[in-house]
Amino acid sequence: MNTNSLQHTPSKKRSPSLVPPYLAAILSALIPGLGQALARAMRRGIILLSSFVTILGLMAWRIRLAARRDTEVFAIIKKAYHLQPVLVVLSVMVLILYLWIIYDAYIIAKDAERTPVLLFFMLIAVFFMLGWQIGEIDPIAFVTKADDAAPALARVLWPWEKAISYPEEHLLATVDIQVPCTEEDPPPPAPEKIEGEPYFWATPTCGDLKTQDGIPGTILTIRGENFAPDTKVNILWEDPIGNEFRQRQEGEYVTTIPDAKGEFEVEIEMPYRLLPPHADADFYIWDLKAKQLATVGQAEPSMELKLAVEKIVETIFIGMMATFFGILLALPLSFFAARNLMSASPITIAIYYLVRGVLNIVRSIEPLIWAIIAVIVVGLGPFAGILALTVHSIAALAKLYSESIESIDPGPIEAIQATGANWLQTVMYAVIPQIIPPFVSFTIYRWDINIRMSTIIGFVGGGGIGFLLAQWIRLLDYDSAGIAVWFIAVTVAILDYVSAEIRERFV
Amino acid sequence: MLEIRHLTKVYDDGTVALKDVSFTVEDGEFLIIIGLSGSGKSTLLRCINRLVDPTEGDVIWNGVNLTELEGEELRKARREMGMIFQHFNLVKRSSVFKNVIAGRLGFMPTWRSLLGRFNDADRKKALTALHRLGIADQAQKRADELSGGQQQRVGIARALMQDPKMILADEPVASLDPVLAHNILEYLEMLNQEDNLTIVCSLHYLDLVQRYSTRVLGLRDGEIVYEGSREDIRAMADEEFKDIYGEEAQRITGSVSGDLEEFEIGGLA
Repeated sequence: MNTNSLQHTPSKKRSPSLVPPYLAAILSALIPGLGQALARAMRRGIILLSSFVTILGLMAWRIRLAARRDTEVFAIIKKAYHLQPVLVVLSVMVLILYLWIIYDAYIIAKDAERTPVLLFFMLIAVFFMLGWQIGEIDPIAFVTKADDAAPALARVLWPWEKAISYPEEHLLATVDIQVPCTEEDPPPPAPEKIEGEPYFWATPTCGDLKTQDGIPGTILTIRGENFAPDTKVNILWEDPIGNEFRQRQEGEYVTTIPDAKGEFEVEIEMPYRLLPPHADADFYIWDLKAKQLATVGQAEPSMELKLAVEKIVETIFIGMMATFFGILLALPLSFFAARNLMSASPITIAIYYLVRGVLNIVRSIEPLIWAIIAVIVVGLGPFAGILALTVHSIAALAKLYSESIESIDPGPIEAIQATGANWLQTVMYAVIPQIIPPFVSFTIYRWDINIRMSTIIGFVGGGGIGFLLAQWIRLLDYDSAGIAVWFIAVTVAILDYVSAEIRERFV
Repeated sequence: MLEIRHLTKVYDDGTVALKDVSFTVEDGEFLIIIGLSGSGKSTLLRCINRLVDPTEGDVIWNGVNLTELEGEELRKARREMGMIFQHFNLVKRSSVFKNVIAGRLGFMPTWRSLLGRFNDADRKKALTALHRLGIADQAQKRADELSGGQQQRVGIARALMQDPKMILADEPVASLDPVLAHNILEYLEMLNQEDNLTIVCSLHYLDLVQRYSTRVLGLRDGEIVYEGSREDIRAMADEEFKDIYGEEAQRITGSVSGDLEEFEIGGLA
């Protein structure tokens, strides 16, 4: 060993700058980073130049995007700044950065030792602001839009009113009204009362429609009996050609609520209605109807609740079947993907790399993408979901299995062989006890994941409760969506707990 | 009687682990093989029960050449030699009892062992073995819950289940502290004296050699460089010591009392 070499410490001193400091500053003013590059800080120059160009490019894009319709440069900038004040902040920061780069070029050409920590913080700050603008981050929206969101969210949080429903019954009673009244024909008689049925009549039973010129129609007094109390009754007309329309008065639909005995009385003005041109008969019979949607009988689970129960069961089984198929196919594959088993010959090593490669590719594609593909192949429904999760499970489980095979301890195998055990006995007593706990643990973990995934997979048509949830959200039916969310949350929580518990017992 | 003739082992990567090794072990001997790590001790022991196939040479066990055996016959021969290991080689997640009774596998029809149906005689035998080694109360614990010394006793119990005529011990005390090392070797000594089992054991510590062996072999780079009785070890000259442990090795002390304070390690510079 040469003792002199001990005194040698690698010099960090950069070679002196190629250009004087002021020239470096001017060069960096023309092309940011050029000054640094010529001051022998090549890497710093390249980073600064590429960052600065990127920042300018992104700025130009965002400004153009903010003022889409304008064509003249100044107008575009003015409008963009007006609409998006963040862009003003950004522009100021970019200007500071530009000046800083010039200053940095001067400094570095003068004194080669400086580390530009603060300058790079500035660079990161500019990118942070750009990200803020590109991401359209808007914390204020949290506050301003909360009021609009609150009712919907409240329904999602406590949707249980929708979980029960009462059997419903349509009550309908009709009375004939003659239009118009004539001298020779008597107006239609009041309908007959039938015991137990709602009853509805009007006085008089003939009259004139309101005209286009504003001559008011005949006022009819209508009475109802035997309707369900405290439930809205709609008043409708059916004209002679069978069109049904609701009675309107002063722009509002006419409804009434019967009293405790199920009786009501309202006055209505006969509506305006164009008669068909060929209507040349003396009179026509119109039907006046009172319709009620009444609840009868005991409360029962609503259709939404039943659907949610059905679909959560379907969801759990999608996850379960995918796990089953996953295990069945991953088990044999895992042996081919275990290095310690496949290192015997070049052929087996090739198989190992092939299997590993395919598994890695399959695993890197999200189950949602697989679900979309599966829906194309087998159509909407739970089978598509099972296929998608199976594919992903095979890849994930085979990897985990093969890793636990790779990590088994060869000691017990040797020991069991030494007792005179044959191959099968050795596998049974030295290999399987070592791989079962991790296999069980990984499998349950996967089952857990699969059930969580199967709630999502319905969003792209893979069956299960996700399908319902997506549908209800799109229909703005937040109560029903809330039921689905609750079911998912409770199921996942229970399974999480159960799987953690089982894994703890086993390993 | 075990007879090793011109045994040579060359591994696939070209490593020569054993070079023309020959020796004989009489029934009832307690033979200790000493040598550095990598001197071929483990390979030698594994060649005897064919966990490792020798490249050349013969292993003759009571008149049968083990190197020619295959399949069922080889397994029957293995049954007669219990083996214990430096790292115990227990199935850590299985119970102590299951680890011990696995020593009986060579005597069972395959289907019975696959179903785990050991007969009562075997179960009793396992309990007896555990009793003998003083760990009967640990039978239902998982193997990895036991201390190192207890785990090695499980290993011995497993070997005993085979009703062996010989015990091969591959550095059985190398992962144990000195007190436990004595303890384990006392068990082996008990088996040697009470059951008249032949013991072939590889070791690091010279003072254990002096205390327990009836005969000693020194192995260096796959060749036998020393052979002698335990008295010879006591009187071992420095040259002989260096033959086994290499030129740079130093003996720490000549004391052979076996006290802990003066515990002697074949220390290397």
